[in-house]
Amino acid sequence: MTVPVFLAALAFAWPLLGAVVVMTAPTMRSREVAVWMAGIGCVLALAVFLFPATGAVAAGWDDDPVQRAGRVMLAFGLLLTVLESRDMADRFLRGLPHVSTALAGLACVTPDPVVGLGILEASLAYGVFVFGRPAGQARAGWALVRTGSVGLFLVLAGLLLPSASPSAGLMMACGIVMLAGLTPFGQPWREENDTFLFLPFAGAALLLSMRLRPHGGEAFDTALVAAGLASVWLTACAGRSDGGLRLFRTFPSALALIAVGARADVAALLFLCGWCLAGGSRSGRSWAARALACFPPGAPFVGCLLLLSVMSDWSWMFTVLTVAGILCAVVRAVPAGGFGQDIWPRDVAGRVACSVLVVTGFLVPLAMMLGAF
Amino acid sequence: MTLAAILAPLLALCVVARGMGFLPVLGAVIAAAMLVDGLAPLQETAAAFVLLFSIGPVWFLTYYQQDRVQERSGPAVPFFALGLMVVLLLASARSGVPLFPAGLCVVLAGLVAVTYRQAMIWQWAGLLTCVNGIMLAGVIEKQVMVVGVAALAGCVISVLGGLYVHRVMPRVAVVRASGRKDADRKGHPVEKRFRGDAPLPSDPVPAFGAERGAQEPPPRSLPSGETTEDADKPAPKAEDDPA
Repeated sequence: MTVPVFLAALAFAWPLLGAVVVMTAPTMRSREVAVWMAGIGCVLALAVFLFPATGAVAAGWDDDPVQRAGRVMLAFGLLLTVLESRDMADRFLRGLPHVSTALAGLACVTPDPVVGLGILEASLAYGVFVFGRPAGQARAGWALVRTGSVGLFLVLAGLLLPSASPSAGLMMACGIVMLAGLTPFGQPWREENDTFLFLPFAGAALLLSMRLRPHGGEAFDTALVAAGLASVWLTACAGRSDGGLRLFRTFPSALALIAVGARADVAALLFLCGWCLAGGSRSGRSWAARALACFPPGAPFVGCLLLLSVMSDWSWMFTVLTVAGILCAVVRAVPAGGFGQDIWPRDVAGRVACSVLVVTGFLVPLAMMLGAF
Repeated sequence: MTLAAILAPLLALCVVARGMGFLPVLGAVIAAAMLVDGLAPLQETAAAFVLLFSIGPVWFLTYYQQDRVQERSGPAVPFFALGLMVVLLLASARSGVPLFPAGLCVVLAGLVAVTYRQAMIWQWAGLLTCVNGIMLAGVIEKQVMVVGVAALAGCVISVLGGLYVHRVMPRVAVVRASGRKDADRKGHPVEKRFRGDAPLPSDPVPAFGAERGAQEPPPRSLPSGETTEDADKPAPKAEDDPA
C-alpha cells in the first residue's frame, strides 16, 4: 500500500472515527475534541488533494481534481459547523455533522454514481433519525425523508432511461435540484440544526451532478441552468422580505447548478466553497451575506467571473439572463442599511470562514493556470 | 412484455386513487412480472424485497387507527398521473426504447401520490410504489446497482415511515374488561375497539374510588402489553403540531 492510498483511505475514515470519538467524549470536552478531529480531517483532505492516488492504484475510484477539491470544501464546512456549535448533551446530534460529512465524501468518490446516491439516502436516513427523536419532530422528519426520497427516485428513473435522451436528462435534473435543496423546489429548511445534515448533503449532490452529466446529455445541462436561473430570479423578485432571505440561503447552490449545467466545473467548485462556508443558516450574518452576494474578495466572486466567461461561449442569452439575475438579486438582497461595518468578523468561526473563502478565491484560479484542474 | 407488466401501472393508478389498500396487489403483480421472465438470483431477490415492501407496511398499519386527515386534493390526481404516463410513453417512443416502460410508469404514479396527497399514509404508499417501480425497471434493465439502491431506499422508507406511524398515530387497543373474561370463555370473540371510543352498553360500569380498586384490577393491568406501551409514550397528538 502506497502513501497516497493510505492517505485517501484515512481521509474517508477520519470523519467516521471523529464521530465515534465525539460521541464517546464527555459533554464538557466534546466541542474541543470535535474541533480537533475536524481540523485534522481538513489537513487530511488537503493532503489527499495535493498527493492524489492516481493511475492503476485508483482504478475505478474517482480521482478528478475538482471532486477532490470539493471534498476539501466539505471538510472545511464540517470544521466551521463544529466551531459554531455549542456543547450539546445529545450524543447523536453531536456526531451527526461528522457522520453526514463522511458519508457525503464517500458518496462523491464511489466508482458508480448510483452507489453514491444510495450512500446519500443512508446519510439522510441517519440524519432524519437523529432529528426526529425529540417529541414533536416526527412530521418534520417525514417531510425531509419524503423530499429527499423523491429526488433520489427521480435521478434513478432518469438513469434507467436511455443515455442522453431528453426525458432522462430532465428527470435527473429535477432529482438533483431536489437533492441539492434549491429553493423553492427542494428541502424545507426549518432549523439551524438542519445545517448539520444538509450542508454536506447538498454539497455531495452538487458534486454528484458533475458525474451524472455524461448520462444526462444536453437536456440535463439545460434543465440545470434553467432551474438555477429560476431560483436566482425568484431570489431577485422576492427582495428583502422573509421569503427573500430564505431564498438567499441557497443562492450559491443555484449559481453552482448553473455552473454545472454550463460545464464550468471550477466555478461550481468555488460556489460550493461559498455554500459550505457561508450558505444555509449562516447567510444571515453580514460577512456571510457579503460573500454570498459575490462581493470581492471571496470564492463566489471569482466563481462568478469564471462562470460568466464560460457561459458567454455557451449561450449569450443565458449569460445576459444570469448577469441580470445576479445583479438584481444582489441589489435587492443587500439590507436597507448596508451590510454593516464589520468586514472582519469577531468570532473564530467567522474568521476561519472568511480566511478560507479569500484564500480559495486566490488559489483556485492560480491552480487553474498552473494546470491543476 | 407480460400481462403483469401492463397491469402494474393500472394498479399504481389505483394506489394514487384509493391509497394503501392496493399496495399488496401491486406488489404481487410486480413480483410476478419480475419472475415471469426468468428465475435469476437478481429477480428472485428483487421480487422478495418487493413483496416485503408491499405487504409489510399494510400489515403493520392494521395495528393502528385510520389516518383521518381530510384530503383537499381533488379527484383529478389519478388522471394527472395517467397524463404523465402517456407523456413518458411518447418520450420513450421518440428515444427509441423498445420495451413498454412499466416500472417507470409505476414510479410516476408513486411520485404523483407523494406530491399531491396530504395524508401521510397515502404519501408512504406513494413512496413504496416508487420503490417497487424502480425495482421493476432495474430488473428489466438488469442493473444490479439500481436494484440494490432501491432496496436500500425501500428499507429506509419502510422503517422511518413505520417509526412515524408509531409515534403519531394511536394504536388499536384490545380492550379486555374483567367482566368480559367470562364472556370470552363462553365463546364470544373479543371486540376490537378503538381507543377513545364511547363505551358499549354491555361494558361494566366502573365504580369510583376504593370500591373500584377492590372490585377490579387497575385499568393499566387490564389491557394487553400494547396498551401498556402506549402509556409510556408521550401523548401521541403532541406530534401533530407543525414544526
